[in-house]
Amino acid sequence: MIETIQLSKAFKGKTVVEDVDLYLDKGESVGLLGPNGAGKSTTISMISSLLKPTSGDVKLHGKSMISNPSDLRKVLGVVPQEIALYQELTAYENLKFFGRIYRVPKDQLELRIQETLELVGLKDRQKDIIKTFSGGMKRRINIASALLHNPSILILDEPTVGIDPQSRNYILEMIRQLNENSQTTVLYTSHYMEEVEQLCNRVYIMDHGKVIASGTHSELLSILSNEDTMRVQLNQIHDNFINAIQNIDVVRQVEESGDGIKIIAQKSANIISTLVRIADQENIKILNFQMENPSLEDVFLHLTGRTLRD
Amino acid sequence: MISVFLAQLVKERRNPLLIIIFMAASIGVTLIFTDGTQAPTSISIFSEEDNAQAIEEKWEPLLNEENNLKFITTDPAEAREDVQEGRSDAAVKLFEDDYQLIKTSNLPTVPYVEQHVRKVFEKEAYIQAAVEQAEDPDGLRTDITTKLDDPPLKMEVVSTTGDELSSYDMATQLMFAFTLLVAMFIIGFRVNNIMKDKVYGLWDRMILSPVSKTGMYAAYIAYACFIGFVQTLSVILIFKYVLNYDIGERLDLLIIIIAFFTFSMVSVATLLTGIIKKPEQFYAVYPSVIPIIPLISGAYMMPGTINNRVLIFIGDLFPLSHAMDAILSVVMHDGTWSDITQPLILMILIGVIAMGIGINLVERRSN
Repeated sequence: MIETIQLSKAFKGKTVVEDVDLYLDKGESVGLLGPNGAGKSTTISMISSLLKPTSGDVKLHGKSMISNPSDLRKVLGVVPQEIALYQELTAYENLKFFGRIYRVPKDQLELRIQETLELVGLKDRQKDIIKTFSGGMKRRINIASALLHNPSILILDEPTVGIDPQSRNYILEMIRQLNENSQTTVLYTSHYMEEVEQLCNRVYIMDHGKVIASGTHSELLSILSNEDTMRVQLNQIHDNFINAIQNIDVVRQVEESGDGIKIIAQKSANIISTLVRIADQENIKILNFQMENPSLEDVFLHLTGRTLRD
Repeated sequence: MISVFLAQLVKERRNPLLIIIFMAASIGVTLIFTDGTQAPTSISIFSEEDNAQAIEEKWEPLLNEENNLKFITTDPAEAREDVQEGRSDAAVKLFEDDYQLIKTSNLPTVPYVEQHVRKVFEKEAYIQAAVEQAEDPDGLRTDITTKLDDPPLKMEVVSTTGDELSSYDMATQLMFAFTLLVAMFIIGFRVNNIMKDKVYGLWDRMILSPVSKTGMYAAYIAYACFIGFVQTLSVILIFKYVLNYDIGERLDLLIIIIAFFTFSMVSVATLLTGIIKKPEQFYAVYPSVIPIIPLISGAYMMPGTINNRVLIFIGDLFPLSHAMDAILSVVMHDGTWSDITQPLILMILIGVIAMGIGINLVERRSN
């Protein structure tokens, strides 16, 4: 349905997005996962025709949208990372404004506004001024504003940044329903691995402006099929201890995680005895030891050597 | 475009405090600087010579003969204190044949007072020089004074239309100067909405909608023009109908001048928006630059006070000096269409050029 071909963008000679190839089929929910500064927002700005790529192409149904993006804009709903609403206007007035500029027919506008408010669960707050809303409620209206014209492709740029877990779950469930019930194609960018895991059928992982891995959840996890993930709870952590673990030849990655460390090591390699010995040498007590199923976070750690939130 | 315009209007309606404060400020400042509803400005006079009383009695009636300034004999210490503490703009220390102006600032009334006092002393010096040579000085003085009051040949100065010339009125000039100054602030802050909406992502949302970019700019610019025009006209109507200021008979021409000024100033604000990178920087820079424009344009001073060519050139780059020329022409000299055509053309020219460059710069930054 929509695809990017070797999409690149350079600002003042510095390449921030390089040869990004994405493909979204109709009704798919695709995640774009990466840490801050990975190039996700620049990529979706180019896909949504807000930013001209330095090179590459964006195609909708096989037709290039770079020089004339009007067809793309008609089917696109974009939820920006910022709260792009008039703070002094009510929720209803904001939606009416966006409905009007998106040319929703007059006789349908009122119905669409009410449907959208229902969807985001803020029908009873429609007469309230946006600046009196909580962060989560603002985010929901931010999403609602992109839905009034019934877009068939919805692009969301980190729509849950800075909100409480309850509002986050509400938003994720809402997007899931839109995708499943209305067959809306969703491109969801985030640096929260759990959100992408929960919501998306396929995932593109970006880092330093490039797509470093892509595939379904299981395809990505298979990258770690030759590794085991272990979580070790400790009474204290020393840099010397971490360095010593890192130097074990079967260990791929070590990182601090809560009150312990997470180790990605070669599958079936028995490092427990070595681990206990090093802990003894460093006067560290092992409180708990647990084998874990790898997550997308582990995949990212494996591919880049750092976590999504680094 | 209409939707974007209406959204700005609803925002304003929801939070009208800024406009109200600015309107009240322009009225308040005008009243403070013009000393109420065009009541004559009081200026203290005093002498510290040995024959102080005689000097004061000689000059007080002469100074109060004409003009809407009121010169009052005051105790020297009190007069000095009034000036020092800002209760009075200036005071005049009198000598037998000379004077000294006491001032602590260059408020708009000061050059006006100075000009009037100098005129009175020069006139008296001419009469004094003539009577000193006469055999009957008192007789000649009486003769000259009588002749001046009722001259055998009277030269009447009329305007090009044959009407009597209106007298110059500083209070009215200041009223227009302050009103246009406040309008410049309002206009700038509203034009800056383009930058604010860009930063908050609203602009991008509109770009993705079927509204054209031209329509978006037109809506923001039309709104800034509208709010600037309404604010300026409202203040002027309050002065005319509530505070009884004399603003002439040609309100139609004034409305046209205000409309042209508003458009031109919106363009200048757009240019500054294009030069300044962030809306927060605009809020810092714009209020620092705008108060300088009336000073350079001579809006607070009597026409002709500024004669430095560089300052005149810089002042002419801004629409305020042309708007003030046109307004003073209409209000004080009963100017007609032909008198205001040139300032109007210059304002349009500034408007078109500044708007073109401004939008270009804003767009360049976006890309």
